[in-house]
Amino acid sequence: METLLYIALFAPLVSSMFSALFTTTPKKTFVGVIASLLIFTSFVSSSLLLALIVVNGSAPVHVEMMTWMATGDLYIPFGFIVDEVSVTMMMVVTLVSTIVHIYSIGYMDHDKGFNRFFAWLSAFVFSMMVLVMSDNYAGLFIGWEGVGLCSWGLIGFWFHKESATWAANEAFIMNRIADLGMLIGIFLVYWNTGTLQYEGAFEAFQTLDTATLTWIGIFLFIGAMGKSAQFPLHTWLADAMEGPTPVSALIHAATMVTAGVYLVIRSNELYSLIPNVGLFIASLGAFVALFAASMALVNRDMKRIIAYSTLSQLGYMFAAAGLGAYWVALFHLMAHAFFKALLFLGAGNVMHAMHDELDPFKMGGLKKVMKWTWIMMTIASLALAGIFPFAGFFSKDTILEAAFAEHHFVIYGVLLFTAGLTAFYSFRLVALIFHGEERYKIFGIHPHEAYRFMLVAMSPLLILAMIAGVLQEPFFHMIEEILSAHEYHIHSHTTLWIMLVGTQVFVALAILYAYKKYANAFIKVPDGTSAIENSFAYKLLYNQYYIPYFYEEYLVKPYKEISDMFWNKVDMKIVDASVDGIAGIIYGTGEKTRAMQSGNLSTMLKWMVVGLVVLLSLAVVFGLAARYSDSITVILSGLGVM
Amino acid sequence: MLDHILSILIFFPAIAAVFGFMIQKDSIRAYGISVAAIEFGLSLWLWFAFDGNVSGMQFMENLPLVPSFGINYILGVDGISLFIIVLAAFFTMIGIASLTETPNEKNMIITLLFLQMTMVGVFAALDAIVFYVFWELSLVPMLYIIGAWGGPLRIYASIKFFLYTFAGSLVMLVGMLFMAYFFYQATGVWSFALLDWYRLILPETFQLWLFAAFFIGFAIKVPMFPFHTWLPYAHGQAPTIGSVILAAILLKMGTYAFIRFSLPLFPDASAAFMVPIAVIAIIMIIYTAMVAYAQKDVKQVVAYSSISHMGVIILGTFALNVEGITGSIFLMIAHGVVSGALFLLVGVIYDRRHTKLMSEFGGLAHVMPRYATIFGIMLMASVGMPLTINFVGEFLSLLGFYQQSHILTLLAGTAIIVGAIYMLSAYKKMFFGDVTKEENRNLPDINKRELVALIPLSIITIWLGIYPKPILEPINNSVEAVVQLMHNKAQTELAKERIPNLVKERVLVIKKTVIEEEVH
Repeated sequence: METLLYIALFAPLVSSMFSALFTTTPKKTFVGVIASLLIFTSFVSSSLLLALIVVNGSAPVHVEMMTWMATGDLYIPFGFIVDEVSVTMMMVVTLVSTIVHIYSIGYMDHDKGFNRFFAWLSAFVFSMMVLVMSDNYAGLFIGWEGVGLCSWGLIGFWFHKESATWAANEAFIMNRIADLGMLIGIFLVYWNTGTLQYEGAFEAFQTLDTATLTWIGIFLFIGAMGKSAQFPLHTWLADAMEGPTPVSALIHAATMVTAGVYLVIRSNELYSLIPNVGLFIASLGAFVALFAASMALVNRDMKRIIAYSTLSQLGYMFAAAGLGAYWVALFHLMAHAFFKALLFLGAGNVMHAMHDELDPFKMGGLKKVMKWTWIMMTIASLALAGIFPFAGFFSKDTILEAAFAEHHFVIYGVLLFTAGLTAFYSFRLVALIFHGEERYKIFGIHPHEAYRFMLVAMSPLLILAMIAGVLQEPFFHMIEEILSAHEYHIHSHTTLWIMLVGTQVFVALAILYAYKKYANAFIKVPDGTSAIENSFAYKLLYNQYYIPYFYEEYLVKPYKEISDMFWNKVDMKIVDASVDGIAGIIYGTGEKTRAMQSGNLSTMLKWMVVGLVVLLSLAVVFGLAARYSDSITVILSGLGVM
Repeated sequence: MLDHILSILIFFPAIAAVFGFMIQKDSIRAYGISVAAIEFGLSLWLWFAFDGNVSGMQFMENLPLVPSFGINYILGVDGISLFIIVLAAFFTMIGIASLTETPNEKNMIITLLFLQMTMVGVFAALDAIVFYVFWELSLVPMLYIIGAWGGPLRIYASIKFFLYTFAGSLVMLVGMLFMAYFFYQATGVWSFALLDWYRLILPETFQLWLFAAFFIGFAIKVPMFPFHTWLPYAHGQAPTIGSVILAAILLKMGTYAFIRFSLPLFPDASAAFMVPIAVIAIIMIIYTAMVAYAQKDVKQVVAYSSISHMGVIILGTFALNVEGITGSIFLMIAHGVVSGALFLLVGVIYDRRHTKLMSEFGGLAHVMPRYATIFGIMLMASVGMPLTINFVGEFLSLLGFYQQSHILTLLAGTAIIVGAIYMLSAYKKMFFGDVTKEENRNLPDINKRELVALIPLSIITIWLGIYPKPILEPINNSVEAVVQLMHNKAQTELAKERIPNLVKERVLVIKKTVIEEEVH
């Protein structure tokens, strides 16, 4: 079992280092093949571990590889644990990674950074595995920062593009802001429990007072907010779409951004002790779900629309996790990984066909030339919208049920409304891309379907997006114990059925409306003249509520200006100038008094006399003072001085 | 030979330097490399022979110099100083090995060997006067390196460097004399031996004044805000090798001296001054990071980033607990490796383009991919990516200080944000985008001579990030002794509270187990 664990963990690292050997050489297809094989090995090992745990019901595999840091009372090993939670994550990560690796062989076909791409991509998988498998917060933090680094390298993969490198830096720095919160959370855990191991820390949490636990919960959640792009740290995710599309599928949809959700689920023993923080998390999640969905309604960038939908779904996950329905959150995380990765890879096919065009208004009618992509994206969108019997129905509806059963009706309402929006914008996208007139012809593009093997690689995701729902029961039974999960039952059956059918009808209507509005022949490429484009709401949404603008104007620019001021004004003009000033005074004094040492005998004799007088008078004063010291003391003490 | 290994480590390079005058110009480089390699081998031997489980001083040497005033030639190493000595030997070696075409190469190598003597001397000295002598002597070779091989402002920069640090150390000297005098008053004998001083418990008011006197000397050397302005000039004008040694080793003298002198000699004052010093450290972290962000010259970015990182080191030192101090010592090593490597990397591009302005570059990742990769590794180490050497030090320093103050650590923790901002933006300006300047189109990638220095540094950066134990453990053992000494000496309530007692806890644990055994 330990061997399996190490294979699952280190195969991606080997893959990354192998690919890295070829970074400076021209494209070699075998690099991609070997990398994919190694990631697949990791997937097989993870599956075997899953089988061992689920079928054999064996205890979690817990290994300690070696010491990392040990000083004072601090002891941090490289320890890894494979239990029900981490094995679920490992399955998701390795499965999607394998598919994305294979897909990338085709997608990055003509890119001269082909080998480098696989080095980064596999490094990402390794970091993600460290993140989910570590048995302590410090190990989690290694993976946490590691995925941030790889995300930086992959968003900025096409580093000749200013927008890409800018987005990469934005993502890194924004994540760093959140990581500070996470780091403080880790410090709090250490100084209050004396350990960073989950096991010991969770045990100690039971005895801590609520105030401390609340702080720990808040700071750890700040870390989660950055990685999972929750408001107000969400802007980097949409900009991260500058990276190659397989990266968006793997990192910015299926895995890395769910790390925050994973952290909350992993720390469930902490968060179930502080329901107030949980409620905050759930409320923020619900808010982000709606907030992100609203921005997706009007956007005209295919990848950004999917990115906002990711953001929105992350909100759902946090809503579930915050309400204590950790298993539901984890299940939605898994289901979402499948259909969202599928959606992104489909978008990648479209982009390839359309020569990197991203505006769906410039597409239309693509279903004729890209039949399989059309089918895949439609099914992925159905799953995302939560239509029975696709994956999203089971995972998302359970979140709604959980919110309802916990009597958080506001959260329920928001999430329900968002489900409608989700269906609308998803099918707006599908309708614009695949239906209606063939608007791309104006631009002289001749689209073509993706390579056959890319489609085959995507097929497991297609199947999972369709049938993941049947996994719900087994998943629940597997995870039941570790997450102290319970099923959410709405008391009356009538209510349940009304809810289920109502939701389905609502969502279906949203889909139909989207089709009606966008799948017709009258859609034109917007030119900014129509009334709706000039309405306030449209502009607000299109500009992402002006939040990026606000950050740019009120944070980035002032930071630059203050930095310049600190350098030019404070450091040079004040700090350094006073040093030079003091030196100047000393130098100047020397310069002035140099005349005394002119070597002229008469001048020097004069100064000698001055010196003699000064010395003599000093001697007289001190002599008198010594002689009459007693009476002086008396006088001074009389005056109250001494 | 092991009995006198420290003396050998100190004087071997100096003697070799004297002989260097007789060596022909053509073979001086080979000579320099061999001397430095032997020295490095000796330092490794020292490490090998060093017993990491012993917390006290090892390889002690004692030779009376001025017995009537208690001035003795006392040397010794413990876990705190050992690795800095090894690092000094290592950097001298790779510095000479990677030295590019320099006018008067012979003088440069001889100067470097002299500099090495002073560096090892400072970290091995256990007598205040011997320490002071080496401390001041180290200024001379550096003054010469900046003044003779520097840029256009070299005279100004070198004089500023010399006078500024010299002025500070004079105040420190006065402090040392007072300390010896107090020792004389208390015991009736003169002594400048550090280990004797450790036994002396001073009243708090004396401690405050003496702490201040030492502080000025150390703070200028570190350099701490607002005494830092000599550093950008020195780095800006110094040749690459000068900057490397200055950043990697010479700056560590200040932070090392805090741990060697200030903390154990003045525990009450250290505890009392903890908050103001932490505030200065935070100013160093944030303010200089912002100044670094405003720079146009990549070398200045690295120079200011050094000050910012020194802020974290100071913070860890004044955490006054094992985690923090161990972390700060580890970070000294880490920062030495990383900033040394960064200055070497800046030197690489300066040799090719004779400019350090970032606006002159752009898109270098297209033409120099290997260079970009190594720079990237060092960049990530500098911003404190886990599994690189810097993270261990930074994490432990901040973790340690968190026990003392939540808010101040939160502020200091912004180091990981502001550090990423200036470093990533500098990297973006240099390496990303298209190649805009015609001169950059055909730059040769990094060559073998440069790799000789950079590959080992990259390996160390990652190796010690993953497995810091061989270094962390001896440091930890020595630091525990220092912290315990401080706790035992502390008199004020504040100091007792802030400096943890390591022994008591252990006794309690032992008692508990004994009781449990009795119950069973």
